[in-house]
Amino acid sequence: MTDPVEPIAQRVAERAIDLVVNALDVNALVARVDLNAVVRSVDLDEILKKVDVNVVVDRLDVNALLNRVDVNNLLDRLDVNALLDRLDVNALLDRVELSPILDRVDINALLDRADIDNVLRRVDVGAVVDRVDINEVVGRIDMDALVEETDLGAVIARSSGGVASEALDAARSQAVGLDQFIDRWVQRLLRRKQPGPLAPPAMLADQAVLADQAVLADQAVQADQAEQ
Amino acid sequence: MSTRTKAADLVSQQGNYAGSVTRFLAYVIDLAVSSGLFALGLAATSFVAEVVTGHSITWNRSNIVVAILFAVWSFLYFGYSWAASGRTLGMAVLGLRVVRADGAVLDPWRGYLRSLVFPLSFLVFGLGFLGILVQREHRALQDLIAGSAVIYAWDARAARLRFLAREAELGVADGPQRPASTPGTPG
Repeated sequence: MTDPVEPIAQRVAERAIDLVVNALDVNALVARVDLNAVVRSVDLDEILKKVDVNVVVDRLDVNALLNRVDVNNLLDRLDVNALLDRLDVNALLDRVELSPILDRVDINALLDRADIDNVLRRVDVGAVVDRVDINEVVGRIDMDALVEETDLGAVIARSSGGVASEALDAARSQAVGLDQFIDRWVQRLLRRKQPGPLAPPAMLADQAVLADQAVLADQAVQADQAEQ
Repeated sequence: MSTRTKAADLVSQQGNYAGSVTRFLAYVIDLAVSSGLFALGLAATSFVAEVVTGHSITWNRSNIVVAILFAVWSFLYFGYSWAASGRTLGMAVLGLRVVRADGAVLDPWRGYLRSLVFPLSFLVFGLGFLGILVQREHRALQDLIAGSAVIYAWDARAARLRFLAREAELGVADGPQRPASTPGTPG
């Protein structure tokens, strides 16, 4: 059984507290408190150590927060030039792996959207041609294949004198063949082991160039045949 | 040897020392042409003289004047041709050219000198021409004196293209079959 005095004492205490609280001017009390001094005495680091930031972030409604942000106003206040000045674009590009990006690019779609005609109109073809070494390009043409596999051969055949040039080519070729035949026999009769020079010195350089061109053309054709 | 290899040989022979057969054929053509032109000149001279004087002139081959005229004409025919272009008509047909011994373009005076000493090769019983056969650079007596040489100089590359063109045209006309080889050898 409880002491009958205890409830009375409790009611008295509650009543006393009510009277004190009612009589207390909280605003005046707060005004007398030096909040800055209080804040300075708080060890924020110690408090933050005890805060589980992840839990706070989980409870944070980021979307709602962003909805309340006036992005345009933010951007207006942003000095983009200053930002770009501070940005090391080269370092940024060094860290970017372009291959995956390029893999995701649909080149065909990109080209479909490009106005190639407009691009070509802006190209100075004369300047491009000036930079091209035409002689080198011509030197890389396989004349044999060109003549054999295009109508150019027929054009040459019709425009090169026909029977006359054919007869002349044949006569010259036969004569040169006989020259070589006789020369071989003379060399044997004279028992020469070392053949003489084929051509005058000035002609040997030209011969080398012509022979190289012929051999290169021959190799190109052989390579094509091998691939086929 | 494949068709193409022969074609390559054909090109690579250009600029080589010319042999005896080609040079002989060229000389035969030149002899025929120069003799024909000389005879034509004599005939024209006779005709003009007959029209002007009313007397006919007959030329005797044994006449010393005719012999001297022919020698002078031959000197001019060969000398001018070699000096001007390094080739006579016969040499042009056979695709030959006279060049300096080192392969450079022949100096005009060498052309005339070569023409001047050309008869020497005949005067020594034709031995002057023996050099074409046995000399390593196929140089005859007149070449050794004038410091010249004779080379193949026809446009073998163009000839090769002409051959390939004809081959291609035949291929179009007759189907895939092709001739077995290019014509002959070099130029």
